[in-house]
Amino acid sequence: MSQSVPRLRFEGVTKEFPGVRALSDVTFEVAAGEIHALLGENGAGKSTLLRILSGGLRPTAGKVLVDGRELVLRKPIQARAAGIAMIHQELQQVQHLTVAQNMFLGHQLTRLGGLVVDRAGQERRAAAALARIDPSIDPAAPIRTLKVAQRQIVEIARALLDEARIIAMDEPTSSLTPSEFDRLAEIVADLAAGGVSIIYVSHKMDEVFRIGHRATIMRDGAVVGMRALAGVDQKEIVSLMVGRELSQEPHRSFATDEVKLEANGLGSAVSRVRNISFRLHKGEVLGIAGLVGSGRSELLRLIAGADRRSAGTLAIDGKPVTFRSPREAIAAGVGLCPEERKREGIIPLRSMTSNLGLPSLKRYTSGGLIARRKLDKVAERHLKGVNLRPFLPDRPIRLFSGGNQQKGIIARWLAADSQILLFDEPTRGIDVGAKSEIHALIERLASEGHSIIVVSSELPEVIRLSDRVLVMREGELAAELSSDGLTEQAIVAHAIPGYAGRSTSQS
Amino acid sequence: MSSLSHGNGAEGSSRFGLRTLALRDAGTLIGLVVILAVFALLAPGFISERNLLNILQQSSLNACLALGMTLVIVSGGIDLSVGPTAALSAVISGSLLLSGVPVPLAILAGLALGALCGLINGVFVAVVGLQPFIVTLGTLSTYRALALIYTGGNPVLGIPAGYRAIFNGAVLGVPSPIIIVAVVAVIAWIILKKTPLGEYLLAVGGNEEAAYIAGVPIALTKIAAYVISGFLAALTASILIGRLGAAEPILGNLWELDAIAASAIGGASLMGGKGSIVGTLLGAIILGAMRNGLTLMNVQAFYQLLATGLIILVAMIIDRMTRGRG
Repeated sequence: MSQSVPRLRFEGVTKEFPGVRALSDVTFEVAAGEIHALLGENGAGKSTLLRILSGGLRPTAGKVLVDGRELVLRKPIQARAAGIAMIHQELQQVQHLTVAQNMFLGHQLTRLGGLVVDRAGQERRAAAALARIDPSIDPAAPIRTLKVAQRQIVEIARALLDEARIIAMDEPTSSLTPSEFDRLAEIVADLAAGGVSIIYVSHKMDEVFRIGHRATIMRDGAVVGMRALAGVDQKEIVSLMVGRELSQEPHRSFATDEVKLEANGLGSAVSRVRNISFRLHKGEVLGIAGLVGSGRSELLRLIAGADRRSAGTLAIDGKPVTFRSPREAIAAGVGLCPEERKREGIIPLRSMTSNLGLPSLKRYTSGGLIARRKLDKVAERHLKGVNLRPFLPDRPIRLFSGGNQQKGIIARWLAADSQILLFDEPTRGIDVGAKSEIHALIERLASEGHSIIVVSSELPEVIRLSDRVLVMREGELAAELSSDGLTEQAIVAHAIPGYAGRSTSQS
Repeated sequence: MSSLSHGNGAEGSSRFGLRTLALRDAGTLIGLVVILAVFALLAPGFISERNLLNILQQSSLNACLALGMTLVIVSGGIDLSVGPTAALSAVISGSLLLSGVPVPLAILAGLALGALCGLINGVFVAVVGLQPFIVTLGTLSTYRALALIYTGGNPVLGIPAGYRAIFNGAVLGVPSPIIIVAVVAVIAWIILKKTPLGEYLLAVGGNEEAAYIAGVPIALTKIAAYVISGFLAALTASILIGRLGAAEPILGNLWELDAIAASAIGGASLMGGKGSIVGTLLGAIILGAMRNGLTLMNVQAFYQLLATGLIILVAMIIDRMTRGRG
């Protein structure tokens, strides 16, 4: 594959953000007609790489070559002209427009010198592109009437329309059923046979092995290996992805018999979460696994008072509670460390101390005024406890690395005396050193009697941290598993819709 | 580690957060000093005790409004309705005075009405969930219309001397409006720097979703900002009618723009989450000094407007260039 000029080559691509190096010296090639899997844990740098490829970010150093020519993108729209199409996990389509309108969004066909959109012409060409993969989709139908799998096909057809020679797919199957995946696999194979290069990002090893030719494995922003997928062991790839540090720490349990939190038949008013019942004990770490979109984060938001409950009951220390806002949940001792720290966690311009004090300001307020010295003292104690680095409590939180921001958020809940701590993807976007620190911290908190729920897409993390694991599937609890001898396969079997049923019916 | 964060790490002392904010205020102060120096050279009589007091007095009305505006902007909002709020409160308060209501009561009624106008803005923004710009654009017309309808478009004349004496007086040679606004500024500074409300305003404006998760009472915080802004608009109105002796329903036209300008020059970000009380005061004085100086130089009104526009743009460009992106 190296005798000719590769279709796509990343050459020493490095991307730095303030406080974190997201990519360092990434180099690999994708041949024409190749299905190239890009593997790595969350935060390994895959998304950053795709954003550079699609013109959403510019590398700090290094370059991207397409057919041997350096690709210089200033705007995402230029990626399209260069023959690069991106199919995102969350489909970026305009709900109330038709299939054809969505396919031509941003570069409409026009008549009368650009004055009028040529809808008929758009629909004709959209139909032609769709016919190559799924003629059953009506180009004049509003996009919202289509199923997710069909909408994905529309995105692929749009890429064909643009005559894309490189298509990057980011977790394309996260919400597809197994039969829909089969169809997608066929389509992708056809495209590759026609000379299109595919970059395929997925967490699901089975899929990757079925569909892909080669795989580049990334960890912590760097390429850690490249393998031809035929004849390589899955375990080898997984160990490359995860590294060795995580799996070696043995799990320690501090769970007691005392029930701290009890949920019965919980259902959400704003998400698909329904009929969730479980108990969380004092000192216990309860893991929640499941696919993206299975309702894990929404369950946490429900417990934390951020979303409205529509059904079921929640009790803390045996007393029923109802939270109309996070403020009420915080008063009852529940603290949420959200998945997207930038969006839901931090007040970027404010100092670490301010961010820490926010939920518990009342404690440091007397006569209507905040006693800064008291707050500073509490902040110092808790920030030392979580090992903030560098130890600058007055520095704006945005200038800290992701790991240290997370430590700040954890310290916030410790300062607020939260007994129930909810972690949503606690180590997403955090580099490996800080990651094991966060893991040790969660374990320490459990040993100190906190009750903890950890939602994570990284199964090794769930297994490493949890005393028990709940698996969610399509908004419901699919299984409760003890973490003794728990394997990733066992979790996955329960997490994928139809998967468990299918394997039992076949065996 | 990137070079950027490295630089900040080296610079960062335990006073890092405090120092950057004070730096911004120092910048605004330098701007003011430069403007004062330029006019001292160009306009005879500009630097005299009398004229400097004059500038402060002329700036005090805008400063009073801008202090409330700053709190609203910090919370991530905007209050376009301050002028009409002032007008409505002025005509009601004026009418009460004319009908024989005691002075303190009339003032209180005016202030309460201003706070009510702010409360209505706040409820539309924080409870109904409409955008602040649109809400206050709507109430800008509504409050103005109410003031005009109530008075039939005529000014309320003949404000009693007892009322006027309060706002035309002076303590130790300092005109009372300056003292009133100085007290307001100290209170606003305390609110922003020392109270939970201040932390909440900065948090809500800085990242509303994160503030919500952290237990900040979002709606109450936003409403508080608009109530304070409406209250201060009414206070500005009572100072003004005390000085003019009349309450006009068209009073306060375009006040919101000067107030926003003072906040922005002082370092408030219209994106929310950032703003300075000291900076806003300096911003208001910069605008006041500009107008005063240009008037002393007999510059035509059209050119004064031009100068005001340019000073805002120049201030924002300097702000942008010196801020960096660390």
